[in-house]
Amino acid sequence: MDMNEKPKVEEKVEEKVENAQPVEENKPELPDTTEGKLVEVLLEKAPYAEGEVIRKRRVKFTVPAERIHEFLELASEKFEMLMQISVVDWLKEGQFEVNYQLWSLSESVHAFVKTRIPRDDAKLPTVMDIWPVAETYEREAHEFFGIIFEGNPRLGPFILEPREYEKHPLRKDFNTLSYAKTIYGEDFDRFDESKTNYVI
Amino acid sequence: MQNGDVIHYELKEFQVFEPLFRWARKKSLWIVAFCTGCGGIEMPPLANARYDFERFGIMINPSPRMGDLFLITGYVTPKTLKRIIITYEMMQDPKYILAHGSCPINGGVYWDSYNVVKQLDKYIPIDVAIAGCMPRAEAVMDGITTIMKKIENGEADGWKRYRENYEWYRKNQDELFGEGWREKDARRWLAWI
Ligand code: SF4
Repeated sequence: MDMNEKPKVEEKVEEKVENAQPVEENKPELPDTTEGKLVEVLLEKAPYAEGEVIRKRRVKFTVPAERIHEFLELASEKFEMLMQISVVDWLKEGQFEVNYQLWSLSESVHAFVKTRIPRDDAKLPTVMDIWPVAETYEREAHEFFGIIFEGNPRLGPFILEPREYEKHPLRKDFNTLSYAKTIYGEDFDRFDESKTNYVI
Repeated sequence: MQNGDVIHYELKEFQVFEPLFRWARKKSLWIVAFCTGCGGIEMPPLANARYDFERFGIMINPSPRMGDLFLITGYVTPKTLKRIIITYEMMQDPKYILAHGSCPINGGVYWDSYNVVKQLDKYIPIDVAIAGCMPRAEAVMDGITTIMKKIENGEADGWKRYRENYEWYRKNQDELFGEGWREKDARRWLAWI
């Protein structure tokens, strides 16, 4: 037997469903408002993103991580201000969700730009070249979650003590209780894991 | 001769006046304006027309070297604790500490948090602690009246305890921050050292 031969896998023959209707793309209809137009204009330039209007003055975009910088650069024409970068840790899915919160000064609309990256080896390009203020938010996200923003020159210990800096305390798999016990000693009362005597 | 002896000797001379001194101290508590945590927000109502603590001779004072009363107004993180300890040591004797809320007592709602100090009393001596989250301005007033009574009776002796048990407090502080934290941090805050 040839060693280089690949083991054959039985090919599954998919049964073709007769009368299969082409699935209609049920894209959310964009309303005919300022927000709807904003999203529409932006999506025309960036067809890889998804966008929707959540409510008045609030819109949401979902962008693949590889093109986030490109998208934000486009978005910064209408959304001039970066308000915050926040991170959500989806532990079971093994992903971080990074939210860029933008504010449009001209239209008074608040936009969320969401992107997902894998938890281990989390990397994103920096957006400091678009909004210099991103430096602070990126340092914070780096410190609390361990995301590396490539191109940010000041990533490093910032708010936390050095011993916490290595642990990334806002990750969901960081056990705060056992950490507190080792640092502050076990003699502080009122810790009770069963929460039967849970008092505040 | 030790440090303590000098002070004892000095005080002995004026022992007759001691009640007068205590009364005077009680009537002029100056607060070190360094409010940590949520409780700092109770200070404006305390100082305003409704409670107006200035009628008791209490005043907010920007310098630790002229302050008597140190308010720890809420949760304390290791980072603030370093500053608190250094500010406390800068203050002149006698000095008193009033701790607001459950956080300094046992961690409060943050009792399983990675960066809230669980027992403040291990690191600096507290004279009066007010329970509750957060204590209302009335409770703080009550705490201040209690500390005044304690000063008059000579029971507010945190500063003496700190001096006598300095080794113990120092040991606890070093355990939390690591040895040599004073020098290391002082160099970071005061660039010219
Ligand atoms: S006791 Fe409550 S109000 Fe006071 S610092 Fe803690 S959480 Fe804040």
